[in-house]
Amino acid sequence: MRRIGVFVCHCGINIAQNVDVKALTEYASHLNGVVVAKEYKYMCSDVGASLIKNTIKEFKLDGVVIASCSPRMHEHTFRRVANDGGVNPYRVEISNIREQCSWAHSNKEQATEKAKYLVRSAVSKALSLEPLRPSTLKVIPEALVIGGGIAGIQTSLDLANDGFKVHLVERDPSIGGHMAQLDKTFPTLDCSSCILTPKMMEVANHDNIELLSYSEVASIEGSIGNYTVKIRQKPRYVDVDKCTGCGDCASACRLKERIVSEFNQGMGKRGAAYMPFPQAVPLKYVIDDKKCLFLTKGKCGDEPLCKKACAQGAINFDQKEKIVERKVGAIVVTTGYDVMDPTSVYEYGYDQSPDVITTLEMERLISSSGPTKGEILRPSNQQKPKSVTFILCVGSRDETQCTWCCRIGCMTALKQVYLLREKLGEDVEINVCYNDLRSFGKGYEEFYRKVRGLHTNMFRGHPSEVRTMKDNLKIDIFDTTTSKLFEIKTDMVVLVPAMMPRTDATEFSRLLHLTLSGDGFLLEAHPKLRPVDTFVNGIFIAGCCQGPKDIQDTVAQASAAASRAATILSQDELEIDPLIAMVDEDICTGCGICVEVCPYEARTLNERKRIAEVNDALCTGCGGCIAACPSNASIHKNFTKKQLLNMVDDIM
Amino acid sequence: MSIIDLTSMGEPQSDLKKELNDRLTKLQDEISEYCFQCAKCTSGCEAHKLLELEPHKIVALLKRGLINELVNSDVIWTCMTCLKCRERCPQRVAPVEILFALKNMAVASGKQIPGKYTGMLQSILSMGLIQDIQQTTTRTNKILKREELGLPPLSKPTDVSKFQAGIMKIAMEKV
Amino acid sequence: MKKKFALFPGCLMPTEQYAYELSIRETLPLLGVELVDVEGFSCCGEPMKSVNQLLTLYLSARNLAIAEKHHLDLFVPCAMCHLALTECQHILEENPAMKERINSMLTAEGLKYIERRQVIHIVDLLHDQVGIEKIKEHVKKPFTGLKIAAHYGCHILRPSEIGRPDDSENPQKIEEILKALGVEPMSYPQKLDCCGAPLLANKPESALTKTGQKLQAIQEQGIQGLVDVCPWCHKMFDSRQTKAGETVAAKLDVPVLYLTQLLGLAMGIRSEKLGLELNLSPVEKIQLGDVK
Repeated sequence: MRRIGVFVCHCGINIAQNVDVKALTEYASHLNGVVVAKEYKYMCSDVGASLIKNTIKEFKLDGVVIASCSPRMHEHTFRRVANDGGVNPYRVEISNIREQCSWAHSNKEQATEKAKYLVRSAVSKALSLEPLRPSTLKVIPEALVIGGGIAGIQTSLDLANDGFKVHLVERDPSIGGHMAQLDKTFPTLDCSSCILTPKMMEVANHDNIELLSYSEVASIEGSIGNYTVKIRQKPRYVDVDKCTGCGDCASACRLKERIVSEFNQGMGKRGAAYMPFPQAVPLKYVIDDKKCLFLTKGKCGDEPLCKKACAQGAINFDQKEKIVERKVGAIVVTTGYDVMDPTSVYEYGYDQSPDVITTLEMERLISSSGPTKGEILRPSNQQKPKSVTFILCVGSRDETQCTWCCRIGCMTALKQVYLLREKLGEDVEINVCYNDLRSFGKGYEEFYRKVRGLHTNMFRGHPSEVRTMKDNLKIDIFDTTTSKLFEIKTDMVVLVPAMMPRTDATEFSRLLHLTLSGDGFLLEAHPKLRPVDTFVNGIFIAGCCQGPKDIQDTVAQASAAASRAATILSQDELEIDPLIAMVDEDICTGCGICVEVCPYEARTLNERKRIAEVNDALCTGCGGCIAACPSNASIHKNFTKKQLLNMVDDIM
Repeated sequence: MSIIDLTSMGEPQSDLKKELNDRLTKLQDEISEYCFQCAKCTSGCEAHKLLELEPHKIVALLKRGLINELVNSDVIWTCMTCLKCRERCPQRVAPVEILFALKNMAVASGKQIPGKYTGMLQSILSMGLIQDIQQTTTRTNKILKREELGLPPLSKPTDVSKFQAGIMKIAMEKV
Repeated sequence: MKKKFALFPGCLMPTEQYAYELSIRETLPLLGVELVDVEGFSCCGEPMKSVNQLLTLYLSARNLAIAEKHHLDLFVPCAMCHLALTECQHILEENPAMKERINSMLTAEGLKYIERRQVIHIVDLLHDQVGIEKIKEHVKKPFTGLKIAAHYGCHILRPSEIGRPDDSENPQKIEEILKALGVEPMSYPQKLDCCGAPLLANKPESALTKTGQKLQAIQEQGIQGLVDVCPWCHKMFDSRQTKAGETVAAKLDVPVLYLTQLLGLAMGIRSEKLGLELNLSPVEKIQLGDVK
């Protein structure tokens, strides 16, 4: 004989105003199977919890019905309370008499009647609930971090210092990402390399970090606590155990200075054998297999010069791509961003004049390890510019390009104004055309004020176009502060381009079943309360792959993601929610329809037994297989057809 | 509770603003609200340097609801319809179409139409085209008309009275 | 493969800019394009947009309906007409209520706008439909490295969202046609500047200033001639070049031709048949210089 207790919550006046809670409680106490019914103002409070626990003990209840707000609010809480009181947490049924009754109707009499039959059907469900137990899964205490920019570096270090083994996968030959391309960082004007390289070195030397550079994730299978990852390691054609980073191969390379350098954003050149940048980690050379003469044509003169030059014999053209497998318990995605190509905003002349460049290209000119060794020279004639004009928001906040704000554009432009003023002195005229100047962070406004004090010509407005004239660039801009149209003749134009998701973000997101937000960046589980979680349990995101942000916010998110991952990795076992699908082995015919239908790849066909099986860790209880099964062999635990139909009968 | 433009001592004309924005929506154009005053339109306006037209200011005044000031001004008639403002606006606002709407409003309210528009309208009413066959002078000062060049006769409305009947109805209507 | 179009002449070309019509009628049939003269067309309505846009929509719709009645696509040599007709199609297709309203007015003339037919301009007709290869085949007297600049005008390039004959920021179709004629097409910073014609109605001096400024810039860059593809632009650059020069206080001496006139000369057609005597700008500089 079952013993159900019904607890009716007033929810302040949210329920009590429209539903006669006393009458409802009285009614519930007489229902079949119910031994006691109580009511209280705030059932989710400490007092309410004690009421439930005490009543369970006093009346020896074995099931509980809570008539309250939506289960989305407090089901979790009430399960815990019931468990504390001695009732199986899955023998708790919530009857939503707030969102679906009190809040939806205004006639108290009718609302109370409706609440009565809602509670009646909840009681009948409670009578049929099975006392489920969650299953457990063993957690592998290792993490995968995808992307070796500052975000990935920070996450890896945090997790490694927590004592977990970290596998850091980076697809470029070196870690460092975009931050390594910067000269100085705002607002402190710290040298970017100086603050980044110590962390890069730490990653290289940390016992707990396995750095898989020049590698990409090929596939991911499994679930939270237990992922199997296949990683594709691209061949460097250089034996990393022998390479000392001396550079003789690059100096000898037949294609030296003939290939556009990606690190220098196309402002400089490299050879086929190259080191991405002087502070690269790992400090090992790599041969570009798309450009190397030997690798593409099978022949490099009489013999490859790099091989001849290498005293260590490290050049090895026989290397092949390798696939390695790793097992991890949690994954953090830190794949970063791409910069928009301003050619699509054709009117700004990026394609028409070499003197129109982006901020990242200017950053490489400013950098002392850049293609001009830190000298600011016009790309068209290698002369010092007498006038430089910045145009902000190129492709950002634009309904025809990227609709969002890039968040770092204003501060980057101001930083470069400051650095140009430092390098070129008072002679150079520096103009800034802006829409809104966003200097929102700590120390940012002070920096903006400083730059205003440097005789910077600030024009509030957007130019319509940049005209390439014979010797210079001409810009007409309407300055809304003075309501005058100005004609600017300038030597260089620096465009602040939009910050975009990686071009392969869509493909990559499919590997991990991650959702993208409308703008193409990876979607966080909740913008305010769960900014580094995703909708996939066990996978976290941090940094610009989630949305545009500066370095300090990136590092904050990276540490946050590490902490979230550590929550999983620090447990030996994880509980798996039992409210998922199961297979009735007696009925299942092994037709396999459920396997095809499952979007989470949680179903497999057991070849020997010829029936379907559920991987509890992957099943999310979406219900797809239950609807698809033609034999009714697929059952949703505690949401069986019989249970649900009984509820309907009770209401009718 | 109230907003007063201290230069004109008038309140914004919100009903006229709504009328204008409704019309823009009907013609598949973006409404003025999204403009964030970047002034890219004015920076590239073909009519700005010569005639001081400021498309971004027109949009700002529309946003504020100060329609009467715009409808009564001469500047709205200076637009060259080069369409650069519509093409390059990052918020898809079309100042050129807003100007057409304002001009239509001015005509409908009985203001005198500047320039040759009235003449063109009358010509359309009487023969379907903005002008009849013109004499041209060649580089060598010969005078020629269409018929003399071996070109076929002009294409114009065959039943002029039906054509006029169709147009007359429209003269009274707004978009 | 013969392409057949109803010729939509508009107002300006058939009443004043005869050279355009002459050169079109001479060149297009040789390139496999059949032009049909249809009765009953009227002004496209674009000049009336400032007065009452509903009138513009009505006038454009009636012309589209007439072509539809004859089961013909429209070839529209004037850029302003092309924009008016294309925009009318766009609005009527996107707004069924407006389509119904206009159609109810069209019943007065027994017309109805049913579906969207092709509306093509000389630039996309020559470049996309006839094709560069075919044009090359018909070139009998190629120009040798003559430096000509193209003026596209505004209305065939913008607004790109409703679809225009060429790209709004970097149009290249005329340059490619010019190359097929043996011309060296010249790029210039003022390429996308307006000719000023729409201001003729109420600010003629400003209109001429615009024309004069552009011609002056072209002249200063050593460009030997200008081609245009709209009777309004041509009216400004060619017919009013002298007046434009007076307005900007400069001596302007730029040969200005319709693209179809230059095309016709390259195809070996005699200049009288292309209306070259009607050009008021010094086009003889081109005829004498490079045409064999």
